[in-house]
Amino acid sequence: MKCKFLWFVLFCTGPQFLYAQSLRLGYFGETVSHYGLRVAYEKPVAVSVSARHAKRMLYGSLGVAGYQHPQNHIGLIVSPEIGFRRTGKKGALFELSLSPAYFRYFLDGKTYEATTDGDFDRVRFAGGNAFMPTLSLGVGHDLSVRRKVPLAWYVRLDLMQQRPYNTSNLIRFALEAGTLIPLKKQ
Amino acid sequence: MRLLTRLSMFCLLFGLICCKEKDTQPREDATFFLRHKGADMPIWVKGNRQPDKIVLFVHGGPGDCAMCYRYYLKDLESDVMMAYWDQRVAGASSGKVDPATLRYAQFEEDMELVVSLLKKQYPGAQIYLLAHSFGVELAWQYLTKGDNQRHIAGAMMVNGMFSYYRWLYQVREWALKRAREKGNKEAEDFLTANPVTPQNTGTVDWEGIYRWMHKLDGNPVSVYSDKKYVINYALGSPNTALAQFTHSKAYGYYGDIESRTFEKGNLLQHVRIPVGLFWGKKDGIVPCEIGQESKDLLKNAIVTQVIFEQSWHEPFITETAEFVNAVRTFVGQQL
Repeated sequence: MKCKFLWFVLFCTGPQFLYAQSLRLGYFGETVSHYGLRVAYEKPVAVSVSARHAKRMLYGSLGVAGYQHPQNHIGLIVSPEIGFRRTGKKGALFELSLSPAYFRYFLDGKTYEATTDGDFDRVRFAGGNAFMPTLSLGVGHDLSVRRKVPLAWYVRLDLMQQRPYNTSNLIRFALEAGTLIPLKKQ
Repeated sequence: MRLLTRLSMFCLLFGLICCKEKDTQPREDATFFLRHKGADMPIWVKGNRQPDKIVLFVHGGPGDCAMCYRYYLKDLESDVMMAYWDQRVAGASSGKVDPATLRYAQFEEDMELVVSLLKKQYPGAQIYLLAHSFGVELAWQYLTKGDNQRHIAGAMMVNGMFSYYRWLYQVREWALKRAREKGNKEAEDFLTANPVTPQNTGTVDWEGIYRWMHKLDGNPVSVYSDKKYVINYALGSPNTALAQFTHSKAYGYYGDIESRTFEKGNLLQHVRIPVGLFWGKKDGIVPCEIGQESKDLLKNAIVTQVIFEQSWHEPFITETAEFVNAVRTFVGQQL
């Protein structure tokens, strides 16, 4: 009940303290050898600043990540996201987010399908579509708090579930590391 | 200016090295995918194109992977083209697959298409099979159907079975012998109480027998104890690391029902292509006796038998150099 009340207060008070919209730009990959990039546009939904100067923010974002898993596939993830971020008075940043992402992959090789006459047809842009709910947990530092640098860095771990995958689903991990760049103040 | 000169020299040297490699050893490095009945199965072809020979690695499992063993088979790429095929619901295969397709007949159909695709991509190339464990079941399934043999120049079978009954019979024999040698009364009692006969292969407690075989060191080798291999697997192979651990769940029907029907003993006499039987002598998973029985049944084939004295189920892991040489010799003999 207390928690629900807190969220209610956050939503009501948010617009008065709206912070900057920002751009998330970072490395995205399963490992160093499955490299990629993630870009996301982020907008605060509700913000509150506590007496101890900790900033709490509920944000919504829309992001796109692309990566290559060499000799396997090229992946594209479109992720609308809802997240919570806390920025401490020294700038330490913690965030947690959820996303019902859409995953599209393209096989990294020539794909052939057998025809009824025993020959093969080339399948262009072969791959597949999948639903990929994602839970992300991140830490970082907001450099604007103490050093007045309008930038924050973050590292975050994504836990994803690809559905369908073969006969069932696949749990995947990805590592993100990058910056949050404020776009404008409202 | 000095920097520019150095950079040019470096580029020239690099270029020369690259050219030299290409001249002496025409390398193939291609990735294909076969899309069939819901599965996207990768086939990586790597190696020396000049002799026009392809060794198709048919991995085990079911649900194992092909490229994850490249680490051990890579040396063969200087002699032939190695084709690493991940079967449906195995390795880096993807798609949306109906579990009902995980049957011998479907795997055989997939294998026919893989061989056809390789023939289409490399017209005139001779294709050899290098099958391991469950892959041997697929290879026998393939070679004993229709006129499939005419597409294959030779088959190397590594620690795999031709008959479920004979396999389980020999696993129990192996385990019973070890139990007596080690004085393991509990294992001996269990194994004595669970004899394997042609009549009870569908109902006998195979998991119990199999578990005892493992406990009695039927295959103590683990690839994960080799740190170099693990690093190579995680960073260098095209496999999705966690995917490998999801595949086995799909093979429940195979383990409980499908595999118990596997019987190719009577059909081996029809095999007429050269066959290599490569066996790790200490293996409990598919004991060496199965290799001997296979040889006896291959009445119309030229059979080469190679025993790896210090190996269990995967001789290419434990005696890599000897194994690679055995493959080289086999492929070199078949002209």
